[in-house]
Amino acid sequence: MLTLLRDLRKLRRTTALPPSDRGRSLAVRHVDCGSCNGCEHELTLASGPTVDMARFGLGVVASPRHADVLLVTGPVTTRMRDALLVAYAAMPEPRRVAALGDCALGVGVLGSDDQIVGPVESVLPVDLRIPGCPPTPDAIAAALLDLIDGG
Amino acid sequence: MTPPAHGAEAYREAVEAALADSWRFAGLHATRAGGGAAVRALLVSAAGDIRVESVAAGAGTVPTIVDLAPAAGWDEREAHDLYGVVFDGHEPLRPLVDHDVPLDRFATTVRGPDPYQVAVGPIHAGVIESGHFRFHVVGDRILHVDARLFHKHRGIERACEGLPLAYGVSTVARACAGCWVTNAVAYAQACEELFGQRPTPEVARARTILLELERVWNTLNDIGAVCAGVGLAAGNNRFLALTDEARALNARLTGHRFLFGSVSVGGSDLGLDAHATAAARKTLARIRRDSSRAWRELLFNGSFMDRMPDIGVVDAEAVRSLGVVGPAARAAGVPEDVRAVSPRLAYEGFEVAALRRQAGDVQARLEQRALELLPCLDILDRLLVGPVRPAATEAAGPESPIGVGRVESPRGATTCVVERDGDRVGRLRLRTGSYANWPAVAYAAADNLLPDFPLINKSFELCYACVDR
Repeated sequence: MLTLLRDLRKLRRTTALPPSDRGRSLAVRHVDCGSCNGCEHELTLASGPTVDMARFGLGVVASPRHADVLLVTGPVTTRMRDALLVAYAAMPEPRRVAALGDCALGVGVLGSDDQIVGPVESVLPVDLRIPGCPPTPDAIAAALLDLIDGG
Repeated sequence: MTPPAHGAEAYREAVEAALADSWRFAGLHATRAGGGAAVRALLVSAAGDIRVESVAAGAGTVPTIVDLAPAAGWDEREAHDLYGVVFDGHEPLRPLVDHDVPLDRFATTVRGPDPYQVAVGPIHAGVIESGHFRFHVVGDRILHVDARLFHKHRGIERACEGLPLAYGVSTVARACAGCWVTNAVAYAQACEELFGQRPTPEVARARTILLELERVWNTLNDIGAVCAGVGLAAGNNRFLALTDEARALNARLTGHRFLFGSVSVGGSDLGLDAHATAAARKTLARIRRDSSRAWRELLFNGSFMDRMPDIGVVDAEAVRSLGVVGPAARAAGVPEDVRAVSPRLAYEGFEVAALRRQAGDVQARLEQRALELLPCLDILDRLLVGPVRPAATEAAGPESPIGVGRVESPRGATTCVVERDGDRVGRLRLRTGSYANWPAVAYAAADNLLPDFPLINKSFELCYACVDR
């Protein structure tokens, strides 16, 4: 186990990540509304050791009740619309919604019209758009930081 | 390959005879392509030959084959929900894709004084895809779990219908980021069969490189996922870093971290000069060294390994009847791997990796992945010698009304059937390794403790996206 931890520490040194100088944090709840799983894979890596968005105060939380921002992926399928609204209703105010990835933004969506409600903004007010197919882990972390900095 | 149209009786007899002759069920779908509704069952032999048995579904009812091949259960339920076909003898024919019916029609009825239900999802606590699980438990022990997936159903297959055959690839492959290359190659193989084309060795080499690059990052990710499943942060983080490194290599080679856009119908556009392939081999050698070192650390971590044995067991008999594929089947001692029978790809001399301890439990599935990573890196090391140049497929025989592609994804055999309507897609069916294996997750969970479910689930690490489509 010590070898693993040493390897991780070495990795941390070689990536030379700058420390955060922000005194604020953002709790993120992710909701998958029909993605191809690409955005989820990259969001997971944004919390991994190479980007480590937690050092900027960005954390993924287990419940919408603990969340400042709802991070929504996918083109919003008819079968996920209600679950998305329930998650949004459970959030404390003030709350923000971020659309992650091109599908969530309604760009180049693949699928049948009768199975898809439309982009996230057709269901909820969107405060932050993160384009990309999928966006890279650094792009996800950088975009969420804008939300902290921009208020 | 022209599928012979059977009457109801002859269809069941043909399937029964094939299964008795050691053919295995490989998928079933309803279609309206080519005039008249029909249901087609796909069977595959040990040598990789594929046959299609069709039955006319004009009257809306066809006989079930679920009693002959339990693996057909989900396929028949899907064909009912999406195409309205009734399967005579499939009782109860529970909904699968259709969410507009009361939940109790999905869930198995469990009676008695002690059982209660635990409902999980569709939104999960982690960064996980959406899907609903209903656990019937007594105390901490799981009696039964009903998985209600298809929350992410986007109608991808329908969206492909009517597209020119060459363009369908970007739509069907995008069903899933984790299996993009697999899905794209399976579709390309199916279309090339329609056109009477076959890949040249250069096309086969390029596609095999891409498939194995996909397997590398998926395998690293899946080992990390098991660490996450037991809360071993150090192991999870180490393998996440390796996954990141593998995806960064994908981006350097093809311009995309998930290799999107790297496969096309009728040839390969992948071009890599000698510098690029040499650099890739160096990176892969580093990944081999670092992942072996990290894997050794996991093996000697007693508190981690003690969680693995004897839970979530799917033995060889269950693998055969449920139609389980991929590392999960091989971990139970069923040595089946599409790569061993893939003349359209560059897997010459491929041998199926076999564990010494083939217990079919969480430990065996984890160890099977770790074991398969090394030959996967060997294949890449062999194929990445010298530059890779764009190439086209070549004529091989007559055109066909229906084509089938079959590729080993990181999660098992993926089958893509394409029925043509002139030069367009008439009907497309994508049956991925994850689709074949989901029923096994529910089977594996029964009789285990509820807190072990995340670990059992992670030991399969199935996609939702390419199941729901």
